[in-house]
Parts: sequence; C-alpha cells; structure tokens
Amino acid sequence: MSGLTQFIGGLPILSMITLLPFAGALLIALLPSSRPSLIRVAALAVSFTTFVLSLLMLPGIREFSSEFAFSEQISWIPSFGITYHLGVDGLSGALVVLTTLLSWICILASFGPIQNRVKEYFISFLILETGMLGVFLSLDLFLFYIFWEIVLVPMYLIIGIWGGADRIYATIKFVLYTLVGSLLMLVAILATAFSHQAATGSWTGAFDLIALRGTITDPTLQALAFGAFALAFAIKVPMFPFHTWLPDAHVQAPTAGSVILAGVLLKLGGYGFLRFAIPLFPQAAQDFAPLIIALSVIAIIYGAIVAIVQTDLKKLIAYSSVSHMGFVTLGIFSFNQQGVDGAILQMLNHGLITSGLFLLVGIGYERTHDREIAKMGGWASRTPVYAALFGFFLFASVGLPGLSGFAGEFLVLLGAFLVNPMVAGAATLVMILAAVYLLWMYQRIFTGPLSPFLKGLGSHLTDVTPIEIATLAPLAAMIVAFGILPSLLTNAFAASVAQFLMYASGGLIQ
Amino acid sequence: MNVFNALIRAASESGEPAAQLPEYAPLLLVLPLAGFLFTAAIGRRLGKLAHLVPLGAIVATWGIAMSLAIPALLGDLGEYGASSELFTWIASGSLTFNMGIHVDALTGALLLVVTTVGALVHLYSVGYMSHDPGYWRFFAYLNLFMFSMLLLVLANNLLVVFAAWELVGLSSYLLIGFWYTKREPGLAAKKAFITNRVGDVGFALGLMGLVAVFGTLDISTILTGVAAGELTGTAATVIALLIFCGAVGKSAQFPLHVWLPDAMEGPTPVSALIHAATMVNAGVYLVARMSPLFAASHEAMLVVAAIGIFTAIFAASIAFTQTDIKRVLAFSTLSQLGYMFAALGVGAWVPAIFHLITHGFFKGLLFLGSGSVIHAVEGEQEMPKMGGLAKKIPITYATMLIGTVAIAGLPPLAGFWSKDEILGEAFKFGYAWVWLVGMVVAGATAFYMFRLMGLTFWGKSRVSESVHVHESPWTMTLPLILLAIPSIGIGVLLGFPFADGILVHGLEPIFHPANVLLGHEHEAWTLFGIDGLLMLASVTVASIGTVIGVRLFRSDNGERIRAITARFQPLYVGSKNRWFFDDLNDLIFVRLGTRLANAAWWFDRRVVDGAVNGVGTLTSTGGRGLRQIQTGRVQNYAFGIALGLAAMAVAYLVIGS
Repeated sequence: MSGLTQFIGGLPILSMITLLPFAGALLIALLPSSRPSLIRVAALAVSFTTFVLSLLMLPGIREFSSEFAFSEQISWIPSFGITYHLGVDGLSGALVVLTTLLSWICILASFGPIQNRVKEYFISFLILETGMLGVFLSLDLFLFYIFWEIVLVPMYLIIGIWGGADRIYATIKFVLYTLVGSLLMLVAILATAFSHQAATGSWTGAFDLIALRGTITDPTLQALAFGAFALAFAIKVPMFPFHTWLPDAHVQAPTAGSVILAGVLLKLGGYGFLRFAIPLFPQAAQDFAPLIIALSVIAIIYGAIVAIVQTDLKKLIAYSSVSHMGFVTLGIFSFNQQGVDGAILQMLNHGLITSGLFLLVGIGYERTHDREIAKMGGWASRTPVYAALFGFFLFASVGLPGLSGFAGEFLVLLGAFLVNPMVAGAATLVMILAAVYLLWMYQRIFTGPLSPFLKGLGSHLTDVTPIEIATLAPLAAMIVAFGILPSLLTNAFAASVAQFLMYASGGLIQ
Repeated sequence: MNVFNALIRAASESGEPAAQLPEYAPLLLVLPLAGFLFTAAIGRRLGKLAHLVPLGAIVATWGIAMSLAIPALLGDLGEYGASSELFTWIASGSLTFNMGIHVDALTGALLLVVTTVGALVHLYSVGYMSHDPGYWRFFAYLNLFMFSMLLLVLANNLLVVFAAWELVGLSSYLLIGFWYTKREPGLAAKKAFITNRVGDVGFALGLMGLVAVFGTLDISTILTGVAAGELTGTAATVIALLIFCGAVGKSAQFPLHVWLPDAMEGPTPVSALIHAATMVNAGVYLVARMSPLFAASHEAMLVVAAIGIFTAIFAASIAFTQTDIKRVLAFSTLSQLGYMFAALGVGAWVPAIFHLITHGFFKGLLFLGSGSVIHAVEGEQEMPKMGGLAKKIPITYATMLIGTVAIAGLPPLAGFWSKDEILGEAFKFGYAWVWLVGMVVAGATAFYMFRLMGLTFWGKSRVSESVHVHESPWTMTLPLILLAIPSIGIGVLLGFPFADGILVHGLEPIFHPANVLLGHEHEAWTLFGIDGLLMLASVTVASIGTVIGVRLFRSDNGERIRAITARFQPLYVGSKNRWFFDDLNDLIFVRLGTRLANAAWWFDRRVVDGAVNGVGTLTSTGGRGLRQIQTGRVQNYAFGIALGLAAMAVAYLVIGS
C-alpha cells in the first residue's frame, strides 16, 4: 500500500467511485431473481450513490492547481512496473460525472422496458459503469487497457441479450470491430513499455502515463504506436470510415444501451486521444493531424448528409452522432486552446443531448413499438409534453445558442478556423445540414395531421410519465445551465487543457 | 475622424465604457424572459387570462425602452451611448465572449420600433387569438421572441448578437409553425429556419474571421480597429460579405428570400411583428451596426447595394400579381427591406434606419389591418373573394388606407420622408442606377398597394353569402389606430427639417467613422436645388403609381385588367409564379439534395460497410481451421481476450526471466 495520496477524509475516493458499481453488481448477484423490483431499486441506489460520490470529488478538482487533484497508486505487478494508478483532473472529472449521471438515468430508464432477466441486466450495467469509470481514471496503460476491455463485455451482453431482432449481427460487428482496434493498442502498449525498459534499463514506470509522457523519442515507435492507439480510439469515436458498427449497434441496443453507448462509450475514444495517444506520441500526432482533420470534416458533413435520408429514427440519431463526434476529433487535432476546449465541451454536450434524444426515442418506442419515421405524423397533437421535450433536445442538438451544444461547436470551428479557414468553412456547412435532418424529422413525426398508424394506437399513445420526466429533467437542466454558463466547464478543465497543449506541442522537449 | 478615434480608443483602452446604463436596463431582457418562462410553465392553466403576464411584461418593457430610447435618440446618453457589462458567457483561455448591453441612438431607433409594435401586437393578439386553444402558448412564444429580439439589438458582443439571431430564428420557427396540426405551417417553419441557417453559415464564418483579426468580438473594439485601418483589402471584403450573408438570410433578401412569403402561414400578428416590423430588420441593423466594416470595402458596399435594389424590384414585380392579401404584403416587405439595403450599400446610413422605423410602423399597421380583414371575412385570405369591405369595416379600412398612403411615399405621411431620403442620397452619392431602379420600385409600390386596397375594400362585394362580415373588437382596432398615428407623423417628427432632423443628429456620430472611410460629407439640404428636384421626382412617380392603381382598381374592372394581363401573359405567369424561384430551389436542393444524400447512404452501406463485412467474410472463410475453437459467437470474443493474454504470457516468459 505505497504511494497513496490525496484522499477525501482518509478514504480512497477514486477507487470507491470506480469499484462501488462493481460491488453493487456483486450484491445484486446475491439477491433473488424473483424480486425484480428490489433489484431495480438496489441498482438505482448503487448508481445514484456513485453519482453523489463523484460530485463530492468535484470541489477538490477545482481547488487543486496541480494536474491530478486526486491520485492513488499501488504497486500491482512489480516485475513489469505495472501499478494500480488512478488519478483525476478536470477533464476526467467531468467525464466521470457524466458517466455516473448517465448511469443512474439509464438504470431508471430501464425500469419499465427491461422485464426479462432483470438481475443479469442490472449486473451487466453496473459492471459496465465500473469499466467506463476505470477507463477515465486510469493513469497506468495496462490498467487502462484492462478497463477498456472490461467495458466491452457487458455492452456485448446488453445489446446481445436485451437488443432488437438483428442483435447478433450488430454485437458481432461491434465486438470484433472494437477488438481489432484494442488488440493493436495492446501491442503498442507493450512495445512502448519494452522500449522504455530498453532505454532506461528498468521496468519502473514502463506502463505509467505520467512517467512515459515526453520520453518516447524514437520516430518509428511514435508513428507505429500512435497509429495503433489512434485506430482503437478512431473506431470508438467513431471516425469515418470506421463508423458503420455504430448505427447497427444503436438500432439493436435497448434504450439504455443506446444512451450509454452514445453518452459515454463514444467519449472513450476522444478521451483516449486527449489523455494517451497525443501526450505520449506528440510528434506522430502532429504528423497524422492533417489526415485526422480531413477525416473529421468528412465525418461531420458525411454523417449529417447520410442522417438526412434515414428512415429509422435511431439510425438518424446514430448518424448525427457520427457528425457530432467529428467535431471532437477536429477540435483536438487543431491543437489550440479553442479547438481543445470546444472538443471537450462537445464530448460533454453530446453526452447530455444525444442521450436525451435516445431516451426520447425509447419513450416513443415504448408506446408505438416502431421507429419508422414514415409511419409517424402529427404526434404533437396527442402528447404535447413529449413533443415539447423532444423539440427541446432537438434544438440543443441543432446547436441553438443558449443551450449547451453551441459553445462547443463554435469553439471547435473557431479552433479549426485559426488553423485553416477552409476546413472550418467546410465544417460549418453542418449548421445547415443539422437543421435539415433534425427539423425535417421533427416535422414528419410531430407536426401535421395525425397519421393513421398513430391514430390506430388510440389510448396507448400516452404522454410522458413522471419517471420518464425524471430521467430527462437533469439532462435538460444541465443543457440550459451549460448553455448559459459554459465557462463553468471550461474553467474546470482549463488546467487539463493547458497540460495537454504543452505535451501536444513540446512534449519532446524534456 | 482623429478626434473621434482618440475618444473611442481612449474609452476602450481604459476598459471603461463611455457611460453606464441605469441599473434597471437589464430589465429589458429580464421581463420578457420571465414572461416567457412563467407562461410556458403555468400558462396552460390560466386559460383566457394567460395573456395578462406576457402583455404586462411587454408594456413594462415598452416603458423602460422608451425611457432609454428617447434620450438615446436625442443624444442625452452621450454621443456613443451607454453600456453595462453583465457576465462572461463563453471563455476559452484568454479569449472571452461577454454578455453586456449597449444603448445608443441606433439601438434606440430599434427599441422604438420593436417595443412599440411589440406591445401593440400583444394587445391585438388578445382579440385575434381569443378562440385559439393554444392561446397561452402563443403569448409564451411572443415573449420569447421579444426577449430574443431585444437581446439582438442590445448586445455589445457579436457572438451574443449571433446567439440572439438564432433565438429570434427559433421564435420565428415556433410561431410560423404555431398551428402544428396543419401540414403547411410545419413545412413553412422548417423552410424558414433552414434558409436562415444558410445565411448564418456565412455569418458564423465572418465572426471567426473577426476573431482571427481582432482577437475579440466586442463590437466597439472591432469598429474602432476597422476605423483605424486595421482591416482592409480582401480580408475586409470577405469578412464583410460573410457577415452580410447572415443579413441576407434574416432580412429575406434575394436569393434567400424564399422563406418569408411562406412564413405567412403563421398567425397574422406574428406576420406583423416578426415578419414585417422587427425581426426581418435585424439584417439591416447588423449592417448598420457594422457600418465601418462595410465602408472599409468598396466591393462589399457594392454587393449590398446591388442585392438590395435587385430584391426591391424583384419582389415588387411579384407583388403585382399575388392574390393572397398577406403574400402581397410579404413581397412588399421584401421589396422595402431591399430599399433599406440599397440605402446601406450606397452609404445612406441614416435614411436606411429612418426607413426601417417608418416601415416598421406602417407595415405593422398594414399586416394587423390585413389580419382584421381576414378576421372579418372569417379566415379568407384571397382578395378575389373580398371586395367592397370599406363600409363594413370602416376602422380597418381607414387605418389601412393610411398605411397604404404611407408606404406609397405620398407626402406628408411617414414613408415619403424616408423613401425620399434614400433615393435622394443614392443619386447624390453617384449611384444613379440605384436611384433609377428605386424610382421604378417607388411607382410600383404605390400601384400594387392600391391594387390591394381596391381588391379588398372597393367595388362590389365578392364575399360568400354565408359570411357575416363584422368589424373587429377594440383590442384589435385600437392597435390599428395607435399604429396609424406614427404612420402619419413619425416621418415628419424624426426627419424634418430635411437632413437636419432628430434622427440625423442622433445617428450622425454612430455613422461618422463609416462616412469618414467613404469620404461622405454631411451636406445641407437645398429646396431650390438638386434635393428639391429629386423630391419632386420621387413624389411624381409615387403619384403616377397611385393614380394608375386607383383608376384600375377603384371599381370592378375585371374585363380591363384581364385584357391587360393577357397582353403581358409571359410576364404575368412569371410574376404569379414568383419567377419560378421556389421551383428551382425545390429542384436543386430538395430533389437533387435528397438524391445526393441517398447516394451517400448507398455508399455507406455498400462501400464502407461492405468493406467491413467483406473483411469479416474473408476472415471467417480464411479462419476455417480455427472453427474447432471458434464454435460460436461469444467465443469470438473470448478468443480475442485469450490472444491478448497469450501475448502477455509470452512477453512475461521472454522478458521476465
């Protein structure tokens, strides 16, 4: 138990946050399957407690001026210098809170829709939460990789067991695709560690992010390792042309699966670039930047164009995610303050907004058991509150100023403009395309005369329930709050961005 | 110029605005926003009383606005107005975008129109919307609009202007699509928002350009920099034109004009407030506010003038043949906005804002009047089904006649003063082509407006027998009367004596830097000289248009009109079909666009995803030998993990020993 630092009240807060959902999963495993409501409440209680714990961590992040406000390091596999090393700064702190927030919202949103194998479902979900939190908090490459892979298993189960008709195809694609990327990343991690050992003659710090940053000078290793990391992250983001697993996975996933997929899992890719790939291999990152920027702009425009003609509501939002996540990589690889600030804001806001949209799609699906846009029409006349909430999240997604989506997109575009105005000019066209695909969808689904299909549902077409509002209200409140005061967020991760920019530009000078 | 620059520079360098606004000034934003939030939250339960809070909020806002706008116009707030900073909106490193408000004579001019017409439209809506089940929702949206529009004219940072720009777009979307159970309003709302976004792409890029040059979007810093020659040449042209794109969209100038006529699907009070008197002026305001930026580029000014004057005649030519009373007014709005841009483009800044004010009042009046007509004939909007209404709805008739005379440019009503100044300055600044086209448009305007009056009010009634024609309630006629007053008098109040009126004095300091860049000097007005001649000419064309319009449409002249249209059949068909511009858009953007998008989707499924599936198939075919261990799907995954662990184990054995 060496090297424990910075606890709250003497407790290892980061481990508690990370492992509490896993402990909850173990607890639920002991509960009888015949008591589904008890299981549901237990899962909600565990995830909500995790959320509260993560909030307790926030003031600490703001008070500390050093990079990682809290960190915990325990020797794990000493012969390779592998440690259990967790740390949190503004960047990971914000993503941790996003994860804990969306986790309890997802669990609450699953109360109604998930009716079979309830116990297994919530166990999977809580393990998933631990995996995601571990990815955001790990500062050891090996530990990071372990958590990265842990995420895959429950997600695979959630889509594969509780998913739609074509779920097997979607899960195979999802798992194989991500696995290809992560195995290459594993090779790169090992190569990096070997080279560190070869250079220093010791395994100490060979897997430690903080020790490794700025030490990898071999250009070939930089290029190859960055390529491998980048592929893993690009698949997760997902960047064009590695995005085709996403629409399939979204369409087949149950609502909460889609929410967590869009809300958190895609962010693992952006986070990976920011925390690992670029600070470790800055020279290669600079070399790859033109390619990644080009792919980002393609993703932004192409995702939006393809979204226009989608006939399935979930697919439409999935392609909109491809477009929105293009902003994240565009901003990161602009390598300037505005671009990176915007990219992180975009990750958080996409997590809030798109999660809300997927929740809303799920709420609609509960009533109609259909997502075919062409069958809808005039829905607003039957369920005005649902339509209004949908409109709210939709305009947030369009990037309406005053709601949170705007600041991130504008800063990314500004960051890109400062690097290359033509790139920004091309990407800005998405302002039109986003309005086209979202408003056209809204018009077809909610306005006009009531469609025969919806009319046929009669009294089944009810408005939102209090539980459903409870899942959406926190997201809506944050969308408004961070729309009016995005500086709350940019201030919180200012130190992380400064560190990132330092390593991204001058990481080799050490 | 130097004195001015020194002054404004000193002010901006010391970080202190020239003057502080009173502490209650932010209420201009807080009241409408609170009205919106309150009504959105509980308005539904208030039933027929839902208008009380929103109406009260706007009347109070009007009072506050007047207490600031009048001193601002009279120069009592200081030559460059007064500001107050509120909070930091977006911060990224050292770059911050602050939320603050600024009131000067230009803001004052806008406040005058926005809050006056706004308050009257709220009152009018109490009557007009009284039977609508969405009564509360309507007032909530109206307050949201007022908040957004006031933010737009008050903001002292261009990014906040842009935010407000999008928010008025949202309110416009919500209000055009207000009757959402019908198909057309939804389509029109969507079209308006998307068309505006086309212009906003340019606006946003222009803002990025300004940040790249000045490192801020604080308006006074940018304008000071431009006036000091820090942005010139191609960069100035490109940035000015990008910003102008936004104005073209919001003010519905060619080629982004297509959304405004369709926006008439919204309730008529909305057409009056948003799509005639206030929001569509935002583009004019933006160009005027950024006047030094435009003045720094001769090419940009030329484009503004050309787009403006072309829209003016293009829209007027369409207004000739439309039969829907609101569409005639909509095309007339396009045309009048075109006038304003033409004025801006030739450097006639004050006349542009003058026309913005007068037009706001008389066009607001005409739209509310048309709403009263539609109300009277129970929802009919086609003028061929009206006629002879003058005696049945006398207040509506009288006030609309005032509005018509005002827009026709006949002295001494409001439109004459501002239109005459635009035409006169265009000529004097050497833009004879703008003047000439403007003269034609002036005549045309008088003609099609009297055509509207004739078809609606004069001759025999063509109203269906079953319709009981009735004058509107006082909540609707009172706003008409109150708007008729400025339609008569605001011109002479603000614009007399010529070139020496209140407005000229108030706005002169604001446009001084732009005028210096253009080399425009303020000149005295001469009755017995060029100015008098130009005035005579503009009154003459307005009178000709009026006489022809009145003579043709005074009584039922169907035969003769049909004979005339037959002679100009191709022109008639073109005008009637809006010169086929909507069809062209439909073909290019909707049909070809959908095809392109479908092609992209095909590419995604067949090529991108096809490659993925192809690799998958190849792997599974090639990996047949592994079938023994890869018996099922979960095992695929397990295999991957095993591979990873094996790699670790090998590494351990090799290195760790």
